[in-house]
Amino acid sequence: MSDPRGAVVAKRLAGIRRVIAFSSAKGGVGKTMCTVVSALALAGGGQRVGILDLDMQGASAHLFLGIRPRLPEEKEGILPLPVTDGVSLMSVAPFTGERGLPLRGAEISDAILELLAVTIWGPAGLLLIDMPPGMGEEILDLARLVPRLETLVVSTPSAVSVSVVERLLSVLKELRVTVPAVIANMVQDNAGGVKDLARRAGVGRVFEVPQDPSIETALGNPGALVSSPAGKALREAMLSLGYF
Amino acid sequence: MHEWALADAVVEAAVAALGSRDPSCLRGVNVLIGELQAIDREIFSFALETILSEKPYSPGIFHLETEKASFRCEACSREWDLEESLGITGEQREAIHFLPESAHAFIRCPACGSPDYRLQKGRGVRILSLEVDDREGCA
Repeated sequence: MSDPRGAVVAKRLAGIRRVIAFSSAKGGVGKTMCTVVSALALAGGGQRVGILDLDMQGASAHLFLGIRPRLPEEKEGILPLPVTDGVSLMSVAPFTGERGLPLRGAEISDAILELLAVTIWGPAGLLLIDMPPGMGEEILDLARLVPRLETLVVSTPSAVSVSVVERLLSVLKELRVTVPAVIANMVQDNAGGVKDLARRAGVGRVFEVPQDPSIETALGNPGALVSSPAGKALREAMLSLGYF
Repeated sequence: MHEWALADAVVEAAVAALGSRDPSCLRGVNVLIGELQAIDREIFSFALETILSEKPYSPGIFHLETEKASFRCEACSREWDLEESLGITGEQREAIHFLPESAHAFIRCPACGSPDYRLQKGRGVRILSLEVDDREGCA
């Protein structure tokens, strides 16, 4: 018996120029903020961007974007929720709303595969994936199913974050996943050990995103998110990485 | 309808499994449909045949079989089926149709109320087997 869904993942992503996951082994470092604000900045520059929130147990991209989850429309598959000009979103939230989704490993993989197999992104130029913390099913499945996956790794300057994220970078290397840059998020004075971390891992670029209290008040307001200090830093990073 | 995306996956997977063998070698594709996903069988069949008609394969090769859904509680070991999963609204059924794992947001063990259970069978679409001609060049 075989699972047919893997056979169409490449076809579903065929209209997408680049698939970029925002990952960290540590929770609370701002992966969702970086994903969503980067997507909004890219869309502001004329790109069509899909956001795939793969955090099954803590989906929150819709909260940043200020959209109310609702069941998706169908058209030879399911359509991501339109957010704002050029941005669309898929996650578990359209199906579960604000209810908790307690899943074990194999079922997480099943849900990921289902979303990849039935979501019709259309001609989205870029797909940005908000990853949950860790190095479990989500990154292992993506590395297997999406060979051209690239990952921006997010860490705060905290020594704890740097230590845990270094383990993820090591695993990404073994998985042969491209890491174009490390994002040092919530930087106050300096990026701390993040630059050394990137150097040790052989990642050539580090982008600093400032600690930004305005993000909390900008939740649900795409315009305010993009124009925040963190938004401006992420826009510069996306520009520098050639995603525009 | 999202049945089309799943039908597309079945056709692509069957064609990939056949590999370089002549399309006429493929005599049948046995497909299991999980009860939980509540696929519309008529739309799914129509989608399979329509997608297949664009390829050099014989029509009428898909054989569909439904597998009943069953759950097993990790907390109290109770096993149950979909009929016993009471109180699910139409919108929740629709959510499960799109993403069967959504069931974990809505269904609880009917014996102890735990959210910690496994879907044992009857989730979604699977290819059970391919029937391939046994003539030379097909095996």
